[in-house]
Amino acid sequence: MTADSPAIEVDHLVRRYGHTDAVQGLSLRVAPGRCYGFFGRNGAGKTTTIKCLLNLLRPTSGSVKVFGMDPAKHEVAVKSRLAYVPDQVAFYPWMTVRQAIDYAASFRAHWNRDTERALIDRFGLNLAQKASHLSKGQRTQLALITAICPEPELLVLDEPTSGLDPIVRREFIQTVIGAYQEGAPGQRTVFVSTHLISEFEGLIDEFTIIDQGRDVLTLGADAARERYQKVYARFAGETPRLDLGGARVLRQQPRELEVLVNGNATEIVARLRAGSPEVIETEALTLEEIFVTSLAPERIAS
Amino acid sequence: MRLSLNFKSGKPVYLQVVDQVKAAAASGVVQPGDALPSIRPLAEELRVNRNTVAKAYAELESQGVIETVAGKGCFVRANHSPFRKEVRVKLLTEAIDEAVVQAHHLQVDKAEFLRLADERFGVFHQKRTRAANSGRL
Repeated sequence: MTADSPAIEVDHLVRRYGHTDAVQGLSLRVAPGRCYGFFGRNGAGKTTTIKCLLNLLRPTSGSVKVFGMDPAKHEVAVKSRLAYVPDQVAFYPWMTVRQAIDYAASFRAHWNRDTERALIDRFGLNLAQKASHLSKGQRTQLALITAICPEPELLVLDEPTSGLDPIVRREFIQTVIGAYQEGAPGQRTVFVSTHLISEFEGLIDEFTIIDQGRDVLTLGADAARERYQKVYARFAGETPRLDLGGARVLRQQPRELEVLVNGNATEIVARLRAGSPEVIETEALTLEEIFVTSLAPERIAS
Repeated sequence: MRLSLNFKSGKPVYLQVVDQVKAAAASGVVQPGDALPSIRPLAEELRVNRNTVAKAYAELESQGVIETVAGKGCFVRANHSPFRKEVRVKLLTEAIDEAVVQAHHLQVDKAEFLRLADERFGVFHQKRTRAANSGRL
């Protein structure tokens, strides 16, 4: 439990439901202060993993550690330092917004009232409104307020923006950047599971793609965009026969060629240049395209 | 100063911020003494991680483009690079080499390349002059 232990450490995690392995050997590590994306399709094992982090489920084998501690053994110590926004937010329906906030605050040693006021204003929530009358977007906003005001070191978001309208989604992300990341950089870690990847593109430092319970790809966001690129070349005449070293051809026309490169852009560009193209352009894949190409290579559109 | 990020450029996001602030300073859009937006609003506006903006500003500071005044924020500096002359020349040589390679592949010869470089110096000079006269933006 030293200052520099990872905020999250998952080591060969397996979680079985009956005969189904929801998570089968997942490993990942989130350094403090990072904004970490956890990307996967529906049913890939994201929520199961998160429930293990929160001690809502026990691992079948392998281990999870939060701030260097086993959440099953140190549940209070772990939970007092993190906040969680699930995809389905529920509040006691009879409570008003005011009561729901105070109820959440009553479990916390620390609560930032200035942030609370600023966020209530920003979202335009009516404090007298009953929780049962809130829209899905408002419930998520309320959950975000109760997650951010205690200023936790770790914010765990499970599909936070799915089902929300674009304005609420945009505000949600800006709030995470602005109000949450305001504190000491080493003590503001975000772990966000989502399949709406493009919205979080600018926020993500590093990510793991999970599929069928296993980690498929873990990379820094900048490194990923540098590694996965599309190269487009147009030739004056017929596309020459070139050895492209196994780069996947996305599109081929009589005078045009588009290929997907994985880490060898410089080399592929040099090989294409040997064919004296009229035009040659490279474009990085977005994180969402990298996700698609990792899981369903045939689906990536050029 | 308007910053716009392109995730498809393959260039690290913080470096895009660095280069755009440097370009704005070189063309007079921001002038010595001007304040840069503080980290939080800029990060919110660009919808990027605060660490990314903080890293860009740290890089700009280490290159001598901006300075941080405690409690007040970040300001554009009246040049100057903290590097010795030979280091500065070496850094510039690397950038020129890239442009020369590009020129070769785009069939732009030396004379045209030099004429173009001259023209671009003129353009930046004009922008700076215009910005200075119009009392900045």
